[in-house]
Amino acid sequence: MHILATEGLTKRFPTVTAVDQLTLTVGPGVTGLVGANGAGKSTLIKILLGLLPPTGGTARVLDLDVTAQGSEIRRLVGYMPEHECLPPDVSATELVVHLARMSGLPRAAARERAADVLRHVGLAEERYRAVGGYSTGMKQRVKLAQALVHDPKLIFLDEPTNGLDPRGRDEMLTLIRRIGTEFGISVLVTSHLLGELERICDHVIVIDGGRLLRSSAIGDFTQVTQTVTVEVDEGLDELAARLSGGGQTVSRQGRLLVVKVAGPETYDVIRDATAELDLCLIRLEQGRHRIEDVFREEAAGV
Amino acid sequence: MSEIYDIGYRHYDGVRLGRGHSTRALAVHSLRGIFGLGRPARSKIVPFSLAAIMMLPAVVNIAMMALLQQRGIAYSGFAVVMQAVVAIFLAAQAPTAVAPDLRHRVLPLYLSRPVSITEYVGAKVAAMTVAVFALIAVPITLIYVGELVVDMPGPPATGEYLGALLMALVLAVLLSAFGLALASFTPRRGLGVASVITVYLLSSASVPIIYATLASTGDEAGAAWAWLANPFWLVDSVQHWLFGTPPHSIEGDYPSGPVSALLVVVLIGVALLGLALRYRKAAAR
Repeated sequence: MHILATEGLTKRFPTVTAVDQLTLTVGPGVTGLVGANGAGKSTLIKILLGLLPPTGGTARVLDLDVTAQGSEIRRLVGYMPEHECLPPDVSATELVVHLARMSGLPRAAARERAADVLRHVGLAEERYRAVGGYSTGMKQRVKLAQALVHDPKLIFLDEPTNGLDPRGRDEMLTLIRRIGTEFGISVLVTSHLLGELERICDHVIVIDGGRLLRSSAIGDFTQVTQTVTVEVDEGLDELAARLSGGGQTVSRQGRLLVVKVAGPETYDVIRDATAELDLCLIRLEQGRHRIEDVFREEAAGV
Repeated sequence: MSEIYDIGYRHYDGVRLGRGHSTRALAVHSLRGIFGLGRPARSKIVPFSLAAIMMLPAVVNIAMMALLQQRGIAYSGFAVVMQAVVAIFLAAQAPTAVAPDLRHRVLPLYLSRPVSITEYVGAKVAAMTVAVFALIAVPITLIYVGELVVDMPGPPATGEYLGALLMALVLAVLLSAFGLALASFTPRRGLGVASVITVYLLSSASVPIIYATLASTGDEAGAAWAWLANPFWLVDSVQHWLFGTPPHSIEGDYPSGPVSALLVVVLIGVALLGLALRYRKAAAR
């Protein structure tokens, strides 16, 4: 079953085409939407929320049409905007309760859900304080809480890790992964950092200039090529020379050697070469082909 | 903190109410905001002191009726007499209803929910209208209750009281639509306050200038039109036409009543159109 599907979706602004003939489908789970700034990610989300009429093509979210059933869609999805969007003079609790009621929850249910969801995003006592005094990390959590408060089927998270420090980033990513798995809510999360999404997504969609570059399961991205990273105490040059002499594709990255895996025999060749040169082997690690590299290759190919 | 995370997620499968519920909830939320309820104490100072000032003449009126058996301000003239206080209330509180959502870009959080931009603006106008109406209607109702309790000689002025209530509502719609439209054009609260009060002062100050200029040239009929430049006298002229109450202009009569009524409708329409255009632009951001 598709959570959302677009068919030839196009959005033209007077000066720029933000989304160009986009045809894609997204299944349940966590889906990453990757693209550089200005690639059309935010515009796509606005169209999917039924807030921006497309110039051409169709899009369906949860099997509802974005142009005709926008308000039905917005009842079932949550949205966390990229920019700051919190009024400073109200407390997180008050804001989230109010927005829950805007989503149609009765007063008592809104209170209960707000308390639940704020706890899930990790806001404790501070939720009674005015939002104006919050750190960026806390504000991001409030933004996430308001997107979750009405228990949506699908949430759109626009750059949720923006402005967070490494630890905040980790916590946010873990939380997003939990929303997609434990909470059972499908997630469409945008980022311009592929490495981030690699950790949490089941599926990644890459767009550039409003056009689809690639859409595939995360496994496909990482299984394109295999490499093995070799670290030895000393004698790196000799090992590199020996391996490339033996027909292996070797590249040097600082104190490490990255060897392309041609087949199972590659591992044997490395082992034998190290042993014959009498080197002290510190590490032999299966290198994952990072999706950044895929993106770079594809972008270069277009 | 980590153990807090371990509480399992619970789905919500209770009722989901319609857009009418959300719009009402937003209107009530905005109305509370206008009076500073649920906000820090300093947000309550301005609206409640202005409301208290509005009550003073009512108290004096009741005292006059009780002690001197004499009426003070007529129901029909209450809004005109107290216009400065009402205008300050509008200027001070209209920006609190619209400016923060625009300035802090909270609007997308509303628009990503079932409420439409029309319902959002409608709820804001309704909240401001109720606030301004209450500001005028509560003291005149108090006077009316006082009149019944004091038992003035002759029948109570029920007709005039009800007419004044209706006119207070018309005035509240006119002022709210205009106040919110002006306030929504600037996301900064201070500028919003300044722009509303400036427009009121201009409309107010222009009346005696135009009136005196035309009256001095002997054009009494033309001078009468000057009253319509101020919203309070404009609505009073409609009241004069509809209910035959005495004009509460400083001097002279009002021009044609139907024209005033038409002007009120047109002005409300213009203000609502301004709001609609402003928010259509804000929503597209």
